[in-house]
Amino acid sequence: MSPAIDTQTKRWPWPAAAIALAVPLAFVVVSPADTVQGNLVRIMYVHVPAAWLAYLAFIVTMVGSVAYLVSKGMRWDRIAAASAEVGVYFTGLTLVLGMIWGKPTWGVWWTWDARLTLTAIMFFVYLGYLALRRTSTDGRSRAQRSAVLGVLGVVMIPLVHFSVTWWRTLHQPPTIIRPDGPQIDDPLMLAALLVGVAGFTVVYAALVSKRMELARVEDAIVRAESTADLPVAGEAVTAPNLARGQGESA
Amino acid sequence: MTVSMWSQARSVARRDLIRERRRGEVLWITVPFGAIALLMFPLAIGTDARLLEQIGPGVFWVIVMLFGILISIRQAATETTAQRDALALLGLDPAAGFAGRSISAAALLFVFEVVVGAVAFVLYDIPLIGIPWLFVILPLVALGLGMLGSIAAGVVAAGHSGAGLVPFLVAPLSVPLLLAATQAFEGLRLGRPILNWVLLMVIIVLVLAVIGTLTARPLQESR
Repeated sequence: MSPAIDTQTKRWPWPAAAIALAVPLAFVVVSPADTVQGNLVRIMYVHVPAAWLAYLAFIVTMVGSVAYLVSKGMRWDRIAAASAEVGVYFTGLTLVLGMIWGKPTWGVWWTWDARLTLTAIMFFVYLGYLALRRTSTDGRSRAQRSAVLGVLGVVMIPLVHFSVTWWRTLHQPPTIIRPDGPQIDDPLMLAALLVGVAGFTVVYAALVSKRMELARVEDAIVRAESTADLPVAGEAVTAPNLARGQGESA
Repeated sequence: MTVSMWSQARSVARRDLIRERRRGEVLWITVPFGAIALLMFPLAIGTDARLLEQIGPGVFWVIVMLFGILISIRQAATETTAQRDALALLGLDPAAGFAGRSISAAALLFVFEVVVGAVAFVLYDIPLIGIPWLFVILPLVALGLGMLGSIAAGVVAAGHSGAGLVPFLVAPLSVPLLLAATQAFEGLRLGRPILNWVLLMVIIVLVLAVIGTLTARPLQESR
């Protein structure tokens, strides 16, 4: 008999994520419009947290990958994979929101700015990570291989982050994490941004937690299938009816 | 008798280079292919001599990156799982295998860079400035791409997609190297200091060397 699959799920992630999204949304509504950009500035409260969360997700992927390589615990592999998946989602969101913001501000959906281009490349690095995970069904082998890429991919983060300093192109330089302190004057705008980051972090944790649950169930199904009751060798062979054979010959 | 790691790495690199001498895949197929690509760019974008001189170095580096991936994945396509298993059973240190494969790939990439660079110099009339720096930049890029290709080849060795996935993995990861190389060339052209870009390349190569060495054994065990 195949072992039972534990499908018990955590209940906290969805309510927590809903609350975590509602609070920043309220700040987005009450925060003032920008003197130059007007209401367009409100995109920033989602665009910037999404970009930060993408960094966090890929750093967690790196940490999970290193921990897997050291300990061989499958839980670490699941953390790394779940975080990479959510990170790809946040990177995609960052790119799309950046384009929506860029069209009215710069006049184009896309420009060959260093930050934009490198963010797109980071997106493809982690799409490659996810593609690699689909090439193998053997859990251990998959974990081992993707862990190497999970460590390697993190080199993109400093490159993306410092690109606005190294190449002074169209994208604005860092506004919050600067040696001379944040450059946003309005405290409500700064609060909206920081609350957005906190809220998105909770959403990230909820998504990773749910994705890890799913991965655990997927692994259990693969394990159950490999150890399921299979037909015994020779079961299909029918024993000859010797008594009938004797009768016929007689 | 124990064989030192460097001796093992040398043996692996020599084996790869002997195989290349016999087959000539890089020298007789990839290098001419790169030269053809250099010829095709002016046909697509126009033959304005000033424009070609300006974009020549960038075109050269893009071709080095794209065709360098072909050279890097060569080993993934030619070395079978059985061959890798046999080397493991013979006691080959995985880190030595990584070093050997990277060195041979880097040597072939360097040859590719020199030959295609000479063709680009002639076709695009690229001004030769800061020649001593080329002896630093070209080997660093070759080594970086070689190591990246070796890691990616090891990563996909047992996957169902095999070598087909390597370009997808290597292309975006080689962008930091490409950026540093193009910026260093641009710096030379404009008379700006390029030490920071060379240092970035050195750091990338060192990071790849550390990651490749440390992950060689887990990758071998995963087969």
